[in-house]
Amino acid sequence: MSCINVNHLSKSYGSVSAVDDIVLSVNSGQVFGFLGPNGAGKSTTIKLLTTLIPPSGGSLSVLGVDAVKNPLNVRHKIGVVLQQPSYEPTLTVEKSLDKYGMMWNVPKKIRKKRMEQLLQDFDLVEIRKKRNEDLSIGQRRRVQVAREFMHDMELLFLDEPTVGLDPSARRKLLDYLKNKVKTGLTIFYTTHILSEAEYLCDEIAIIDKGKIIAIDSPNALKSRFGKEKTIKIHLLETQSNISALLSGISDCKINFETGTNIIIHSEQSELVLLQVLKILNENNIQIEDLSAVPTNLEDIFLKMVRENASNN
Amino acid sequence: MHPIIRLVNRNLTISLNPGFLIWQVIFPLIYIFVAGYAYAPLINDVPFGGKDLDYPAFLASGMIGFNIMNSTLISGILIWNDRRHGMFEQIMSGPFTRSHYILSNICTIGIIGLVSASLIAVVGYPVFFESVEFSFITIPIIIFGAITGSILFGSLASIISTRIHSSEGFNVIINTVFLFFAFVSTAFYPADGAPEPLRTAFYLNPLTYLVDVIRAGIFGTITEFVIIEMIILVGIASVLFVIASKLLTKLDF
Repeated sequence: MSCINVNHLSKSYGSVSAVDDIVLSVNSGQVFGFLGPNGAGKSTTIKLLTTLIPPSGGSLSVLGVDAVKNPLNVRHKIGVVLQQPSYEPTLTVEKSLDKYGMMWNVPKKIRKKRMEQLLQDFDLVEIRKKRNEDLSIGQRRRVQVAREFMHDMELLFLDEPTVGLDPSARRKLLDYLKNKVKTGLTIFYTTHILSEAEYLCDEIAIIDKGKIIAIDSPNALKSRFGKEKTIKIHLLETQSNISALLSGISDCKINFETGTNIIIHSEQSELVLLQVLKILNENNIQIEDLSAVPTNLEDIFLKMVRENASNN
Repeated sequence: MHPIIRLVNRNLTISLNPGFLIWQVIFPLIYIFVAGYAYAPLINDVPFGGKDLDYPAFLASGMIGFNIMNSTLISGILIWNDRRHGMFEQIMSGPFTRSHYILSNICTIGIIGLVSASLIAVVGYPVFFESVEFSFITIPIIIFGAITGSILFGSLASIISTRIHSSEGFNVIINTVFLFFAFVSTAFYPADGAPEPLRTAFYLNPLTYLVDVIRAGIFGTITEFVIIEMIILVGIASVLFVIASKLLTKLDF
């Protein structure tokens, strides 16, 4: 069952089209990744979906509610962690959580219980009495994300929630979100850190210049767009003639670094590798290290955005 | 709990810090008990609505209006801080509408204005108790003045907070405007006897009307002119409230 349905949605500011005729559907109980370079339209899309701004055209339904006609009904059912920091400077961490729960009409007893749990889950116990204005950027971000779990929701929008977090806090948050999804929560996750999307997301959409250029699971995207593999060979000694020796191999792009490193990009990587090894063997050139670099989402992302730019 | 009540609860929690409360009481106390008695030998009885008030009593009653105006600065600061620290956008993505947000601000400043007026009335009571004439008519007039004045100055502070983008600009403008209101009014001195241009300026200032209405409520001197002042106060408060609401409605993200 899909919880977000977007049809030909667009948002323009004067002659600038921030979101251009996008169509997407997000299934319940999954993490939907929304990727794109800076200024691609990610935050504008989140603002449209969370009813902060009205669309210029198209329709959108969130959790079965027409988000244009009944924005308040949508907002009752969703949680939103926006990209920009949001906090009340003079409140302490625990007061922030409690007041936020109160704003969402969560009963006092439940608030207290949830607050204690969240303080632990987000490593905020030691700073619970600190005022928001005295926190570091990362601590403030953790409070901002934790605060959103004070209330019940069916769908959570996270706009680059790990900005400012250290690697350990980042991984902890991603694991926390994974566990939440297991309880039935749907997450719409915006990021430009592609390793995060690869780790967390069940489905991914890539947006560029306001248009969605791909939607699929990370693995499907890799198999569709990531046929080209990279092989790295490190030679034992510098070979001045290596470039000439390998120049006859077709269907690949070979880069040479410092005379000992060979980097091969090819869609026929296995065949190309066999030819390279044969030539190296015939010329008694010894290999110190050889590795195949798996295609990651970042490669696909960069490739797609580059292609989209050149097509335009 | 209604969304507006929840937002008012939140507004009061973040606004009422000990520093603000102390400032709200200490500042008028210094005016009433230091300036009031220090100037008393220079200023003879002040005529007001057919009564002759001694200067400390005149000043203490004026400080109620002054304090209402000062406390409504909170409205501007609230909106300013919410915008600056991302809470406006966060609240608007939650179970609230812009109307909830606007009305909660008005309720907040109404409560703060009333509490503020009551605090100064209690503190200043020993100074003006001899001339006080409370009745079933005068007390509602004081409450009316406190609420209308709060809405008027709160709306003004809100308008400024929606139009100014830098914190320096916000502080300079709001302090300048409120300083002008404070000193070009009848809060500290009577209009009678002031040079004509200054007298005219006094009556271009809504704080003068607020202070006059509060004084009339305290000293039981409800005249036709006070009723006209009440009408003017309601008119200005309504216009400013509509403008503030429109500007808040148009705030984009």
